[in-house]
Amino acid sequence: MHQSSSKPESRLAAITFFAKTHPGDVCGSNGLPLTPNSIAILGRAQRLKDLKHPHLCQYLDFVRGKHERTIVVSEYFGTTLLDKSRVALLDSLIARIFYQIVCALKELAEQNLVVHNLEPKHILLDDCNNVKIFNYGLYHMTKCGDYVPFPIGNVRYMPPERFLGAKNNIKSDIWSLGMIVAELLLQTTIWSGMKISNITRKILSFLQVGNVFEKIAREHNCLERYAQINGELRALVETCLNVAPSKRPLPTELLSHPYFSKDVTTYAYTEPPKSNVLLLRCPLEQIYYWWQLAGGDVQSELKKEGLIRSEAPILAIPQIVCLNGAIVGPKRSQSYLMDDRVVPLKLNNLFEKLCNLPAMAYFPLIHSPKFPHNFGASMAQLPLVIREKDIEYQFYRVRLFSRLLKGYPYTSDMIRKEAAKDIPPYLRGPIWACLLDVIPIGSYEKIDKFTPTSTDRQIEVDIPRCHQYDELLSSPVGHCKLKRLLKAWVTAHPQYVYWQGLDSLTAPFLYLNFNNEELAFLSLYKFIPKYLQWFFLRDNSAIIKEYLCKFSQLTAFHEPILAKHLSSINFIPELFAIPWFLTMFSHVFPLHKIMHLWDKLMLGDSSYPLFIGISILKQLKSTLLSSGFNECILLFSDLPDIVMENCVLESQKMYECTPKSVSHRLHVLREEPLTEFDITTDVTLAHLQAEMCPRISAKDFTNLLHHAPNDMCALDLRSAVEYSHVHVPHSLNVPFVAAQLSEPRLDALGVPQLEELMHGRIVICISNTHEHAVQFSKFLVECGVLRVCILHKGFNILHTIEPNILISN
Amino acid sequence: MTDNIVKFIYKYNNHENTECEASINIELPFERGDECLDELVTRLLNDMDTMQRYLDEHEKVKAALRKFIIDANQIYLDKFAERLFEHAGNNELDLEAVIRKTERQYKDEIIQFADRIGPSDEDIFAQSFHRLVHSSSLEEILRRERAYAKVISDMNTLMDEEVEYLNSTQQKEMDNKIKQLDITTTSDDINNLLAQQYSTQNYIRQRYESELQAKRGHQRNEYRDWITCQVGKIFETSPAATPLGNRSSMFISQQPSMEESFTIHLGSQLKHMHNIRILSADVTDLCSPLHIDESLNGLNMALGLYSSSLCGVVVLTPSIQAQANRSIIKNANMSTEFHFEQIDNQLEKIEKQICNLSVNDSTSPSVNSNSSALGNNDIPLNTGTVGSGSAGGSPTKMATTKLKTGDFFITKHSNLSQSHVIFHLISDEPINSPSEINSRHPVILGLRNILKTASRHDVTTLTIPALMRHEMSEDMTVQWCMRRAELVFKCAKGFMIESASWGGAELSTLQLLLPHDISEELFTTLAGMVPNVFRVANPKILVDSNK
Repeated sequence: MHQSSSKPESRLAAITFFAKTHPGDVCGSNGLPLTPNSIAILGRAQRLKDLKHPHLCQYLDFVRGKHERTIVVSEYFGTTLLDKSRVALLDSLIARIFYQIVCALKELAEQNLVVHNLEPKHILLDDCNNVKIFNYGLYHMTKCGDYVPFPIGNVRYMPPERFLGAKNNIKSDIWSLGMIVAELLLQTTIWSGMKISNITRKILSFLQVGNVFEKIAREHNCLERYAQINGELRALVETCLNVAPSKRPLPTELLSHPYFSKDVTTYAYTEPPKSNVLLLRCPLEQIYYWWQLAGGDVQSELKKEGLIRSEAPILAIPQIVCLNGAIVGPKRSQSYLMDDRVVPLKLNNLFEKLCNLPAMAYFPLIHSPKFPHNFGASMAQLPLVIREKDIEYQFYRVRLFSRLLKGYPYTSDMIRKEAAKDIPPYLRGPIWACLLDVIPIGSYEKIDKFTPTSTDRQIEVDIPRCHQYDELLSSPVGHCKLKRLLKAWVTAHPQYVYWQGLDSLTAPFLYLNFNNEELAFLSLYKFIPKYLQWFFLRDNSAIIKEYLCKFSQLTAFHEPILAKHLSSINFIPELFAIPWFLTMFSHVFPLHKIMHLWDKLMLGDSSYPLFIGISILKQLKSTLLSSGFNECILLFSDLPDIVMENCVLESQKMYECTPKSVSHRLHVLREEPLTEFDITTDVTLAHLQAEMCPRISAKDFTNLLHHAPNDMCALDLRSAVEYSHVHVPHSLNVPFVAAQLSEPRLDALGVPQLEELMHGRIVICISNTHEHAVQFSKFLVECGVLRVCILHKGFNILHTIEPNILISN
Repeated sequence: MTDNIVKFIYKYNNHENTECEASINIELPFERGDECLDELVTRLLNDMDTMQRYLDEHEKVKAALRKFIIDANQIYLDKFAERLFEHAGNNELDLEAVIRKTERQYKDEIIQFADRIGPSDEDIFAQSFHRLVHSSSLEEILRRERAYAKVISDMNTLMDEEVEYLNSTQQKEMDNKIKQLDITTTSDDINNLLAQQYSTQNYIRQRYESELQAKRGHQRNEYRDWITCQVGKIFETSPAATPLGNRSSMFISQQPSMEESFTIHLGSQLKHMHNIRILSADVTDLCSPLHIDESLNGLNMALGLYSSSLCGVVVLTPSIQAQANRSIIKNANMSTEFHFEQIDNQLEKIEKQICNLSVNDSTSPSVNSNSSALGNNDIPLNTGTVGSGSAGGSPTKMATTKLKTGDFFITKHSNLSQSHVIFHLISDEPINSPSEINSRHPVILGLRNILKTASRHDVTTLTIPALMRHEMSEDMTVQWCMRRAELVFKCAKGFMIESASWGGAELSTLQLLLPHDISEELFTTLAGMVPNVFRVANPKILVDSNK
């Protein structure tokens, strides 16, 4: 294609370190075990991913390895200042570097971050001599170094106050910057080859010195060079190297200094030319994502470089371990020490995998049907888990969706259409938000998330128990975020209360939008009325009862044998299904399964969850049929592993073949008012509880009759006389005789080939006496007939339908 | 008001255009991010006229507050640093100590500054062996080991035979003497003979022991030299992978009398799969000499030795010194320990450490509790001296030189049939009076510690005594056994669930060991409890989805 043949350089690199291990069996203030430090680091580090600035290397991923190892993946390219300064640099270039680092520091200061490990090794320069600083987040993610055993920062560039315990002051970074620039200007390496103790002593001795820069120059015999430096620039460096932090300038002050402002264009960032490799024009985080799909594995790259050394575990086993915490064992291996080498991740593999893609794949045209972005039908046949791991397919999907998302809300329909195929995991958070019609308008910020309320205690108790196997959600930052989201939701809904389970319901949204709380909140905000309208009322019993009744009816509709068995052992949904529906299954499944489940749920309406429930029962069918009440209770107390793919497919199938009115519930958010041909509001909970089979509306009945007569089988229960008078076309007359129903045998009805006639069709019982239809439908269910329902309002409603559908003699 | 609290005053005009103000105290240094700022804004707004909330006042408040905090914080931090400098100037701070501490930190924790220690001999040998064992040399290694083992075990047999022969002749001699008692011999004569016989026996034993020791030392050197030299050769030739499809690993040497296996799922949402095997066997069978018969388990053990899937066995032992189970010692001595020290030496060392530990504990208990995972290298032996914990016994008993119930020591082995690592867990439960214990009992806590150590050091197959007993006794009623087994099962389950958050290796197989002399009926009862306590995985049934 248009790609150059030369192997492009790497853009990514990884570093690794170990977090401090917690001593012994200490518990936190809430009595629960302490969170491992590596998890805390992971949580704190997330916000760094959002920092995008021309002078900052982008953070891409944080991986937690075995035994408290943390791996950080970030942007990395070009040359380090350390390498670049092996030859003397021009003063103008030094000033440029100076200026651009200040730009980076200013951005960080605005984000409330300090670097504290600024050194030439962490300063990268590209071909246009643009500066990017690298590894600037280490101090933040390790909570000022509290989470790691090693000290952070290069002693050589450390300001005196840091040795004495001052921290988090951006002026400390200004000092480091001053040292770096001074070193460049003097064209020498300061204190080279000196021991750490001596360097420390030197720096602390500056406390008595007036002009640090001059002193350094004198010590290194560079006074001549010192005198040559542009006076203004020298003065700037000198202010940076002021011993008193209050006298050092802030980044903003430096930027507006006349020395820089008189000639900003030479110092400011120059946009590098667009790469002729199309891939490199894509966002870096996407490149990293594909790199992983193309088989990239950070851990093995680090292993190759010897940064993860595998020592035989048996050699490190202790000799004595006492209950009081004392451990006697071999010395800690040096492989646990901090090694700050940077390992570049090679992109070759990814380039090879993607080299055959046309340019159109990178920049899909979404409005021109002439260039469809079809990937080929064969892909759709493959299981979802395989599609999600296919690099080329995901490449297409991610590019397509990132384009579509840019056009949201105008592309809403297209997003919905594409999402029906599948949702690329990489963009799931924003795609879900689109499917839920979320439009962020900054309202989250206004909600009071902090004033203590009466639900706080319950929330505090629930959060440390909510999906804690997940690293993000179990991190302290995750806990804070979840708490804010829950409190915000409660504040935003004065009519509702916090029911346990809301935490689980929120977790998937937080997990997907960890750095975008507003999106997570709005998604939840829209999700609840769509699927759980009125579930969070203080008294939600009527809603839940209706829901569960409908669930029983639909179970009878799709799984008559199972329904019969469950009702015979009195195993009612109240005993197991409330947490299912109240949390939309997020309490019973791990996050990765909820993702696939909700991918489909988001596309369905409020009845979809009912079918998920049935498909779970279906998967456990054989066990359930052979179990009594006690076994069933035990089985559901700790739900066995459910195969999610089947569950999704099954529920999808059932959802599609069920007429809307069959799954009708009164308590939903309705966009259109009900008509007399829908299920009317006079159907009460008592009715639902009394009827084993669901009702179908006259509207759906007529629809079926007109459009899919082969999908239905209407059984007319009226007497033969009435039937001969007037009847529905294709309907079968089975006059209701109570005595025939005493035993669940179809042939007792005396209708030839009845079973074949009903097979694979929706069986609709029509009568003028509603009670007859109820009894007859129950009889059919007990005979194991699938998809039995009752026509709402009986035969009489059919008279009023315009145009007429009845045949009368 | 102390100097680290500043007051922010916000002036505004409310909807009726009257001037109002709201104020809030802010504690410096202000280290938390924007979320905290939002919280302060909310609190300010709550103090203000409710109308302001609807007038989008929060944006203005936030901007003002933000600027205020940044400025105040900067001043505070600068002052803080300058105060430190003042202290340093007045010699209130020991700068030399600061310098020492800094150097210490860098040298101890950062590889670039650390005094590099090359890999130890053990490390090098471990790597060589691991490489070799995963090559075509495997067969040869095993063959050699077997040959070596044969020599030692032959010598052992020889010693046993000679001792036995001596015993019987001495017995005869003694019998004769006793018959002659008060006729030709006096009791003094008998005593003399006894002493003489004893010293003869001792002499023979010692002769053999020293011969054995010499032999083992010789074998060990020869073997290790050979391995090292083989690795050199392997480097020259192209390394071949482990011969695939070796049938040998399918054989298990000891078939325990009764066993049953389960696959279980643990965890409420995310399920982790583990294997559970309940079996009845003598614990020493799991630690039987590796090369004694022509069993081929040696292969498994060799492959796993330096891998990250080790096998461990928990053996209960009383608290007298570091005393391991006698038959295990005997088994371990049946062949040369090529990789670690011979078991007697290991035990001897452990005993010394226990003494040291007690001394350390009683002289400087504060060191233990204060030192965290870093920088405690001043105590040469404690690598991860970990907190003081409150779970231990009363601190007054510190000075005694023995381990307490719940403590354990660990020996490492390469020549036992099913264990690389033996956890010798101290339990002083009297043999004949089964007691009741609960989940907070030290022995159970010790079990948890073992699981934790296992997770930290990649022991992925662990055998634990399911009744916390190795032998049945008269007093162990069926009810007692069921109670005890339920406790151990449930605790093990709890610890395994907990272990998911420890960040170490996951336990893949847990073996629950019942005493070898358990009745079949009781075994069935206890095995039946496993699926009730653990959630047994559903069988996966493949169904044609097109159907």
